[in-house]
Amino acid sequence: MKLRSRRLLDRSLTGVSVMAIVLMSLSLLVLLGPIFSRGAAAFLFRATSEFRRFNLEQFNRGDSRRIAAESRAVAEARQPLYGMLAAFTAELEDMDPARRRELRQQFKEVRDLLRELLGPLPGEMDAVMLRQQYGQTRWDRARVTLQRILFSEQWDYSDPSRMGRKVLVPRRQAFAGTQLEPLFPHLQQNLKSMLQPRFTFYWRFLSDRSLDSHFFGGIWPEILGTFYLTLGAMLLAIPFGVIAAIYLSEFAAAGRLVSLLRVCISTLAGVPSIVFGLFGLAFFINTLHLSHSKSVLAGSATLALLILPTIIRAAEEALKSVPHAYKEAALSLGASPLRMVLTVLLPAALPGILTGVIISMGRAAGETAPIIFTAAVSVGRPLKLWETLNQPTPALPWNIYNLATEHQAVDQIRHVQFGMVLTLVLLVLLLNLAAIVIRARISRKMRG
Amino acid sequence: MKTNERNLVMSDAASRLRRLAAFFSKGFLFLVAAASLVAVLLIIVYIARDAIPFFKLRGLKELFAGTAWFPSGNPPEFGALAIFIGSGLVTLGAILVAVPLGIAAAIALSDILPYRLRQAVKPVIEILAALPSVAYGFFALVIFAPLLQNHGGSLLSLAAWLIFLPLGLLIAFAVSEIATRSIRADVAPAARWLLAATLAAVLVRGLAALSAILKNVAVSSGTNAFNVSIILGIMALPTIVSVAEDSLQAAGRELREGSYALGATRAESLFRVIIPAAGSGIIAAVILGVMRAIGETMVVWMASGNAAQVPQPWFNFLSPVRTLTATIAGDMGEADQVLGSERYHVLFALALCLLLISFFANLASEWILRRQARRLGGLK
Repeated sequence: MKLRSRRLLDRSLTGVSVMAIVLMSLSLLVLLGPIFSRGAAAFLFRATSEFRRFNLEQFNRGDSRRIAAESRAVAEARQPLYGMLAAFTAELEDMDPARRRELRQQFKEVRDLLRELLGPLPGEMDAVMLRQQYGQTRWDRARVTLQRILFSEQWDYSDPSRMGRKVLVPRRQAFAGTQLEPLFPHLQQNLKSMLQPRFTFYWRFLSDRSLDSHFFGGIWPEILGTFYLTLGAMLLAIPFGVIAAIYLSEFAAAGRLVSLLRVCISTLAGVPSIVFGLFGLAFFINTLHLSHSKSVLAGSATLALLILPTIIRAAEEALKSVPHAYKEAALSLGASPLRMVLTVLLPAALPGILTGVIISMGRAAGETAPIIFTAAVSVGRPLKLWETLNQPTPALPWNIYNLATEHQAVDQIRHVQFGMVLTLVLLVLLLNLAAIVIRARISRKMRG
Repeated sequence: MKTNERNLVMSDAASRLRRLAAFFSKGFLFLVAAASLVAVLLIIVYIARDAIPFFKLRGLKELFAGTAWFPSGNPPEFGALAIFIGSGLVTLGAILVAVPLGIAAAIALSDILPYRLRQAVKPVIEILAALPSVAYGFFALVIFAPLLQNHGGSLLSLAAWLIFLPLGLLIAFAVSEIATRSIRADVAPAARWLLAATLAAVLVRGLAALSAILKNVAVSSGTNAFNVSIILGIMALPTIVSVAEDSLQAAGRELREGSYALGATRAESLFRVIIPAAGSGIIAAVILGVMRAIGETMVVWMASGNAAQVPQPWFNFLSPVRTLTATIAGDMGEADQVLGSERYHVLFALALCLLLISFFANLASEWILRRQARRLGGLK
């Protein structure tokens, strides 16, 4: 081949491999972008007057006088709207039966949606469920509901060769000529004064319990559950992991038994996480009876097994990177090997071990599969410390799954789901950042 | 001063005591270190213990050859072939995404990027590895699936252009180069360019036709094997990149410099010398990446569609599938209450299959990596 074309091929290899790196970084950005931007909306959003009323009544938060004044202003702004509803109700009674039947169903839909938007309509009994006692607490959700009031979704099947197409039909058309017709433009123009959206930084999303299955409130039980599970897993795994690493790096003579141990460690690292979950169920709960059914303890034990290999490997690596001179100096001063390990080797290797511990902490916090059968429940209150021995807990990873797939109103609580994902991802990222910082400090120290 | 009175030479008794203490402390350390051995044994025993009753009751044939999966039916049916195929399909897709990308990225990291850029890319890999699987699953379900469902066709055709255009141009160039090798030197350049231009034109026409077909593909559901394959591929990337990069690095400076000294370009020394030398390590990397994809639960559970059916035709990535891990995760909730039933035991049978697959794949990668370390160690 000509030199020129050889060079071109060389360049194209460079191009392809750099493209792979770019693609990889890009996929990370694409992944994190929506998680960050939409997750932030769980904390920072335009809260409506309903949000403030809710906070006052449920959490006793906020200036009650100002909120009362706001409530009055809001009620005043809503008055014409409710007047139209009343007028149309009266009008409906006088219609001829055919038209009445036709409109009644649609009117009911409008009323239901208005209730969803603004809270209970005047003269209605107090609802049992919290979500029926308040209107939309977030302006973005209120806009979605407004859209559903203005337009009804219908499916167009006129073209048999294609799938049905969604068409938006203005509800106003159905009520043309009645007293309800002006309601729609009125609502559209005055919704702001009816709900008074204001930018709010809801940091208590992290520390509030959830109310009415995550329709309101925050994610404190999940955070606490994740904290307990991770803490328990670390408490169980660190001693075993570090001691095993000490044995492997300092005391083990090369032999069959030790290489068997190593094979076992890498096998353990390769076991799929869902198998850990089944094992935790079959062993910790059904055989050892650590707890009657799911519990934080059983979940922690399962997670500890999962992260054991990571900790062993990281700790062994850290122990091995301690310079030989340290050990030899200690031994030559007459220290027993054990003493050498405790007083010289471990302190010197501590930052490295810590790095491994922190990274596996992130892993334990984010794992879902092992805790499905051993620890996680979808709804629960924050546990006291001693209750972790025999009580299951909600946890961030499990509840992300649960809210995103099994919740009754998946679309309405997207912000909560994104908020949870953001919290979990931030937690893991911060842990990894800490590990990176520690590692950088070690390498600086090693260089002197 | 009391310490000075002590003998420098230890007394027999003290020495014995010390040796005894050393022996016991070493024994204790070994016992703790053996915890992982015990854990592996316990896992195998306890998964197998609950799996065997299923095989005793229903035998092997139904599970591995049947395609009807109705564990709660009356009578229940436990044909898991579709589930095995689903796992295989998803893993195949993940390999198709992760292996080319991962190996190219590993080459870039080990041989091409300058040191500083390499340091900047490392955290990207670490973060990709550290992100919880449920976050990937959530992304696949909430963001990627609707995108695929609404704009699936155009996405596919865009992807086809992005992947096949550069690759195809490269191949067209290489083919024209090789084909005109034996032509007389004075007409060779013209012939080469002519051939390359023709091939490129054919390629562009072909791609246009392909993208026209792809554009009309209607994705009926965004939660399907394609979605999961891409996400799993991204998840397997860090493993593949870091293990493959390690083994490329391990091939050593001498080989590279020897190859350069003989006049090879970087691409030539990579393909003719370095990759053959590091080949087994790259295979181990691929095995480890595959294991990550097979063993992953949350992404497939959330975004694969969970339909226990054999895709028609079998490589139809746009159909929903169901995998081993998702079946275990999804069905255990219901089977939990009926402890000891066939429904309960069949999940352990599936888990046993998973465990065996991961066990042997792990042994294989371990063996390959160790052999490579020995061989490259001997080379130096």
